[in-house]
Amino acid sequence: MTTQRTKRLALVAVALMAMPAFAWAENLTMWVRDSGATLTTRVIDHWNKTHPGDPITLSVIPHDQMVTKFATAAAAGEGPDLLSLDLIFMPDFMKAGFIKDITDLMAKNPNIKKVVQAHLDLATYKKRLYGVPFTPDNSILLYNKALFKQAGLDPEKPPTTSGEILAAARKIRKLGPDIYGWYFSGSCPGCNIFTMAPQMWAAKGTVVLPAGCEAEPLKGESIKQVLTNYRTMWKEGLIPQGAKVDPGANFMSVFMSGKIGMQGSGNFAVGLLKEKAPNIDFGIAFLPGPNKGDASSFAGGDVLTIPAASKHAAKALEVLNWVLTDDPQLEVYAKTGNLPSRTDLAKNKYFDADPRLTKTAQALAVAQTPWTFHFNDMSNDNSSPWIEMLQTAIFEGDVDGAIAKAKKRMKQIQCE
Amino acid sequence: MSTIRYRRSSAIGLVYVAPALLFVGFLTLYPFAELIVMSFYNSSLLGGSSFTGFNNYVKAWNDAFVWNALRFTLKYTLFITPILMGLGYLAALLTAGEQRLQKLTRGIIFLPVVIGLGSSSLLWFWLFDSQVGLFNKLLQDLHVISAPLVWFGDAELGLWAVIISIVWKVVGFGMILFVAGIQAIPHEIQEAAMIDGTGYWQRVRRITLPLTYRTIMLATLISAIGSMLAFEQFYIMTAGGPTNKTISSVYWIYTNSFTYFKLGYGATLSIILMSIIFAATAVQITLTRQQRDR
Repeated sequence: MTTQRTKRLALVAVALMAMPAFAWAENLTMWVRDSGATLTTRVIDHWNKTHPGDPITLSVIPHDQMVTKFATAAAAGEGPDLLSLDLIFMPDFMKAGFIKDITDLMAKNPNIKKVVQAHLDLATYKKRLYGVPFTPDNSILLYNKALFKQAGLDPEKPPTTSGEILAAARKIRKLGPDIYGWYFSGSCPGCNIFTMAPQMWAAKGTVVLPAGCEAEPLKGESIKQVLTNYRTMWKEGLIPQGAKVDPGANFMSVFMSGKIGMQGSGNFAVGLLKEKAPNIDFGIAFLPGPNKGDASSFAGGDVLTIPAASKHAAKALEVLNWVLTDDPQLEVYAKTGNLPSRTDLAKNKYFDADPRLTKTAQALAVAQTPWTFHFNDMSNDNSSPWIEMLQTAIFEGDVDGAIAKAKKRMKQIQCE
Repeated sequence: MSTIRYRRSSAIGLVYVAPALLFVGFLTLYPFAELIVMSFYNSSLLGGSSFTGFNNYVKAWNDAFVWNALRFTLKYTLFITPILMGLGYLAALLTAGEQRLQKLTRGIIFLPVVIGLGSSSLLWFWLFDSQVGLFNKLLQDLHVISAPLVWFGDAELGLWAVIISIVWKVVGFGMILFVAGIQAIPHEIQEAAMIDGTGYWQRVRRITLPLTYRTIMLATLISAIGSMLAFEQFYIMTAGGPTNKTISSVYWIYTNSFTYFKLGYGATLSIILMSIIFAATAVQITLTRQQRDR
């Protein structure tokens, strides 16, 4: 009898000892848009490997449905525990109160002072912090060195002005009927705010998207200059016809064919081309503006946030802190050719091995991101004034009319 | 006594229809009432809402996009409806018989109807692709075109690409309705006409068409309403472009409600579109009745 009781007590004791492990284990959910899923999956896999007790289940959402899906869920008090959100949408969601204020919770983290400033700015509303940089990317000029060489151009001297882009594109086009000087996705508003807008705001004083109702949208001569440059390239057939209807699906694949001289792209192109098109000898440069010495970039990517409706906010905060530590920053981000979110780690053993990666990291220093409400309405949506302006100016030739109409619509959107 | 019986019978009747009433009430009338109320507010998906009276309606009146979308939707409806009805009826005439080949053809034509509209739009988006699309290859092989067409680079071509895809997808539905109408015509009438020496097309014109008139009107009504509510095909295939020239009314409602988060304005646009469709349907039904009674 005593033995039986002892056995039972022992069993209960073992069960009680095991309980904390179960009690503390939390299954977190996270949403990410498809365009940022590759790196995020690697980061989350690394978390799940190093934190087996608190696994994260990642859901990949089509990028054009992410905002609507999250807004609808948040309005209903639902949503994931962690959200990887395109930083340009932060102002709207911070204002709406859909994202948790983490200012005080992150105050003691020394790494927060070392992250990409543009991301921090976009994750800040009324001096309160709502997220940490997660998967930063930035735009650069991508060019095919082999085609440069064949066209008699110096492959080590990429274009430094819009005019030089045009001149190089003309020379490259002469190489063959199926070889083109330039490529861009003509029906992709997001791709072009990422790669064309920096060429505009590279000129000092240019404003593409206004910060509020009082500010003037599309301010600056460089807007017309860049649009005219694209128009000339289109009219002269330096860009493939298919570019007009590319919604972004061929943003990288056309360059991978080896028949495109140059295009605006992102830091992610380095890793992608090395993996998928190892035969292409490509170079990386800053996106130039119309004038000598002008160069810029778009600091894009995702911010990692905790939705206000998160059911495991404390554990989610642990993830935010962990993401900024050396281990994932170097062994996941840098190792796979992706920009670390911490600028102090931009120089690392992995990037030292490829100067093109270093160049992408340097572009962050000249990068900008507009802090504005209604970013989606003004530029990212398929019916936005931004894409309407590009298509009217480049494909129809009415540059002045396109700018005037877009100015009016952007002003209306901001002032509503 | 009879009053009591009447009341009891009414109560029993009410019990019988109660499930249907509840169903319609919760799933149709209540959301509809909510929609009307919402149209008077500037509700946002991001939170916040205040009463704005008729402001949303005034804004819609002055919104050039609303008029452009409406014009485009009407154009699409006017183009596609006769094509769908004509081809559907022709297919029905050819396949209404009971021969094995006719049944098989009927099945094949009807097959795309069961495919989701989103899937079929995506399929046709790639078939019309200017670089890898098979449609351009087919036209080139047939020497119809010499160089590949950029279908979605031009609003007119884009519209026709959508029309082709929807005709492929939907024509079978009209055909099935027409086949049912044609098969319901008593054989004796056709036989009597044949004995009188009428030809095939004469029988179609004098017997089949008049006796399937109500089916034709019903199919036209369903098709026209469906076209006025077109969304997925334009969202997926043209994305409203180029330069916003292929934005349909529902596309603009969706954009305002779920992309720009303006639920109140989206509700207003929905009420306006619904009123237009309701008015057009009422006119069509009245005309049909007048013609039938004549």
